[in-house]
Amino acid sequence: MCDFAALWADVVKIFPVLGGVNQAAAAVSAGPVDEKVFENVRHHLTMFGGIDTFAALVDLEIQSSIRKVLVPKFWKHFHGLVPPELQSGFSDQALAIEALPDKNRLFTQFIEAVNELHEGFQNLMQVKPRLIQLIGNAERPALRTVKLMQEDGIKNCMRDCLLAQLPPTFSVVVGAFYWVHFKLFTKASHLALTTVDSDVFDELLCVGCNFDVEQCCCQKLTEMVNKTNTRLFEMNLTDRLTGSALTALIRLKIKEHINDTCMGIFDRSHLKQLETWLSDVIMSWLANIFSEWKAKDCMSEDDAPAPVQSFKVKLTYYMYETFAQSVIGQFFSIIIDYPDSIPAIDDLKICMEKIDMRIYLTESLRSSLEARILHPGVNTMDILTGYVAAIKAIRHLDNTGVILEMVTAPIKDYLRKRNDTVRRVVTGLTEEGPTDLSEELAKGEAIKDGKDSGADEFSNWENWEPDPFGIDASVMQYNSSRKMRSADIISMVVDIYGSKELFMTEYRNLMADRLLSQLDFNSEKEIRNLELLKIRFGESLLHSCEVMLKDVTDSKRINAHIHGESNRPENQQFDISSLIVSAQFWPSFNKESLQLPEEIETEFKKYTKAYEAYKGNRTLNWRTVTGRVNIEIEIGDRTMEMVVSPTLAVIIYHFQDKSEWTLEDLSAITKVPQSALRRRLSFWQNHGLISETTPGLFTLLEKESEEKSQFEEMSLAEADEEDLESAMASASDQREEELQVFWSYIVGMLTNLDSMPIDRIHQMLKLFASHSGGVEFTQDELKHFLQRKVREHKLIFSGGVYQLAK
Amino acid sequence: MKVTIKSWTGVATWRWIANDENCGICRMSFESTCPECALPGDDCPLVWGVCSHCFHMHCIVKWLNLQPLNKQCPMCRQSWKFNIH
Amino acid sequence: MAQNISPEQSGGAGAGGTKHSDDSLPVKDNHAVSKRLHKELMNLMMANEKGISAFPDGENIFKWVGTIAGPLNTVYAGQTYRLSLDFPNSYPYAAPVVKFLTSCFHPNVDLQGAICLDILKDKWSALYDVRTILLSIQSLLGEPNNESPLNAQAAMMWNDQKEYKKYLDVFYEKHKDT
Repeated sequence: MCDFAALWADVVKIFPVLGGVNQAAAAVSAGPVDEKVFENVRHHLTMFGGIDTFAALVDLEIQSSIRKVLVPKFWKHFHGLVPPELQSGFSDQALAIEALPDKNRLFTQFIEAVNELHEGFQNLMQVKPRLIQLIGNAERPALRTVKLMQEDGIKNCMRDCLLAQLPPTFSVVVGAFYWVHFKLFTKASHLALTTVDSDVFDELLCVGCNFDVEQCCCQKLTEMVNKTNTRLFEMNLTDRLTGSALTALIRLKIKEHINDTCMGIFDRSHLKQLETWLSDVIMSWLANIFSEWKAKDCMSEDDAPAPVQSFKVKLTYYMYETFAQSVIGQFFSIIIDYPDSIPAIDDLKICMEKIDMRIYLTESLRSSLEARILHPGVNTMDILTGYVAAIKAIRHLDNTGVILEMVTAPIKDYLRKRNDTVRRVVTGLTEEGPTDLSEELAKGEAIKDGKDSGADEFSNWENWEPDPFGIDASVMQYNSSRKMRSADIISMVVDIYGSKELFMTEYRNLMADRLLSQLDFNSEKEIRNLELLKIRFGESLLHSCEVMLKDVTDSKRINAHIHGESNRPENQQFDISSLIVSAQFWPSFNKESLQLPEEIETEFKKYTKAYEAYKGNRTLNWRTVTGRVNIEIEIGDRTMEMVVSPTLAVIIYHFQDKSEWTLEDLSAITKVPQSALRRRLSFWQNHGLISETTPGLFTLLEKESEEKSQFEEMSLAEADEEDLESAMASASDQREEELQVFWSYIVGMLTNLDSMPIDRIHQMLKLFASHSGGVEFTQDELKHFLQRKVREHKLIFSGGVYQLAK
Repeated sequence: MKVTIKSWTGVATWRWIANDENCGICRMSFESTCPECALPGDDCPLVWGVCSHCFHMHCIVKWLNLQPLNKQCPMCRQSWKFNIH
Repeated sequence: MAQNISPEQSGGAGAGGTKHSDDSLPVKDNHAVSKRLHKELMNLMMANEKGISAFPDGENIFKWVGTIAGPLNTVYAGQTYRLSLDFPNSYPYAAPVVKFLTSCFHPNVDLQGAICLDILKDKWSALYDVRTILLSIQSLLGEPNNESPLNAQAAMMWNDQKEYKKYLDVFYEKHKDT
């Protein structure tokens, strides 16, 4: 017979866990158990032949105890600790940690919870040796299926249960623990940065010993932390349970560190500093957390434990990535600071060798450029300045030009839509300015001619490099040729318009305007600029400009000759100087007319005669609307001298003889259309000399009017404003005309060559039609144009070729 | 009121006093240059034949040099003589 | 316009770009000549004259293809002729070589397309251009010079315009098929 009650009591002595929920928690069995007890239980079990069953029972009970008691108790510690608003809504753990209000409490709570868990764990750890003692032979085959007999069986079981019941907020709690830990660590190792969040520190360091440094609990806390770490390690929980929170925290720290030390500083490299920081602070902290590992695995002192090593790889990557993102986020400022920001670009370059961030870079940069400069509030010159700076900075980053092309495509598109772009570029090229374009021009690098560089590409094949990968082929549609992408800055700027011919045409227009409007024009400077442009764009495109400049210098000589004593016309009323232009080489003049008063015209005839005498067989056609007149107006007791356009001079001149003019009469005598005349009259109205007394009737105001002050203030500059209107027809005005020219050529080639595919038509136009206008079609434009003609039944498109409709 | 013109800076285009606009040989405008020249006017002048036809000097001289026997005006096929004004 | 071209000929014109590709290398010292040819092309394109047209045949501006319509009220009316024009480097001081690409039965045109026309030979003047050449050839069709024929048969037949026209129709029918 057997006393089951006594036997059970003995069993429970050996395995308190079998005593039920409450006893397991009491954990009273730390003390040794008498061998007699073992003997008794062993005896009975052997007698019943139920040793294997018993082991399985113990195993089940232990698992159940872990699942039902130990783990829920552990989790209970954290119940309600984390404010509900932090339980959700933070997709990023690091942010949640950052936002935690009471990290210290969580810290203590975590330590307590771990202590308790560890205690329970230790109790459970006694089960295995006791079971072995009881059974006597651990090698019984049936026992192999018993979980607790397996290597780390209990640890694994506990870990699995913990993870299975993991509350969502736990990582935040762990984060808080490591957060405090990190502070303690950095403080202890004097690595704390100036930005350490002092209120957390103060509370922490000296709970109750604020004034006594000697009693600072820093040391104590550190010990507690270390102990907790050890315990976590013993339970094999460090990596699985806390790993993700730890990673999140470290990422947060890295981000903070980058923000604190690198933000806005582009003139020095940061990578070295970051690497040092990562290894000195983060990695040694991690080594501290994982120090038990080291002790256990008996690794050499120098080797970091394996988890630390793998951490390091991940964190280094993360640091580079975060840093690169930070630099990219600030790339607009880097562009503006270029070349001072070269160190930042070099850093990014290194990052991008490790991590592919091109798409991120191009997208980020495109959107920041759009937000910063591509809107109506920014003037064209500033956009150009940004464009040039972007070219330089991005070139430095990526010399293949692929990123540049993708990033700057929207700038080019945008600039193309602004009608003053070419003028601004020309101004930028020829005047000192923020774009540095004049500086670039002065460098005098010649554009490589299309054919040459094509040859270069082949002869230079050994240096060929593939395009950077990671760029979606579809966004590479801009990608014309490598030549374009590697062209110099001026070419890039000129390329905005897709054609240097158009650019040069606009340059010529601008130069014409300048030459015609500036009396004191600096011909030496213009000639110097022209020489530089010629080196770059070739003689032929700038030939007209050369003739224009020569016209100016020739005119000076002719004027000097005609003004010379012996040639001076008789009875000269006033001095005439003239700019005598070779019309074929100048842009077409606008078509405005102006009939000069007879006595003035007589003076011009005299000049013409003198010219004819000087240059045999040649004569002059006067462009009367264009020019400058220096007039003196005496009215009442005032006299003023001013420089105005010929039309303005003629208008006021007519008011000498007749103080009242109808618009019709004045228009008839001056041959200025009424609308234009009215506009001109407003100049004199604004200056208080003329008034429109009744609609269409203009009267001279002999007496000083109230507008007198304004009148006296009038400066030459104001008068100039009136004449800022271009004397030339603008290049864009001529577009429709050009389309017509192209159409004639297309008809011509299709008449004689029957049918052609679009690329051949395009090529032919480029070869033969661009001479007439200088403006080129892109193939896309041509396609549109041809399709229009197909719709108009002028062309037939079939089998990939166009032919004339019969 | 009295308006006195102190000085006038005007703009004029120059042209040859000729009975045509383009040189028949090179097809370029008289006020432009022959294909060999860069600068118009003094550097690439016109010349007249006694037949009153005129050409860029460089063009007609080249034409005449290429006529082995009778040097004729390419326009009227009269024998070419320069008309010196 | 190009209704009556023999397939052979239109094929020839179409393949012109490749046929002449070895000639398309830029020739040195011909800037002045190409300048004039560009100018002529522009004038021709802008004038858009009925019945005559021409365009460079490929990348080389020194080789053109011309098209003329047979003059109205002649036996050639309704026909369209293709010609080739090869310009020498000495153009316009020397005449271009002009040949019929389309077979042309005419007293002053031989069966290879060569043309006997004084202004293309000794009566050449630098003032002639593509336009005047094509116009001259066009009028030559209706007014042959039977004194010095290249095609004696055609010269002999010329007097009987009715017969001539009949023969011509057969001639073109034949050449259309080949």
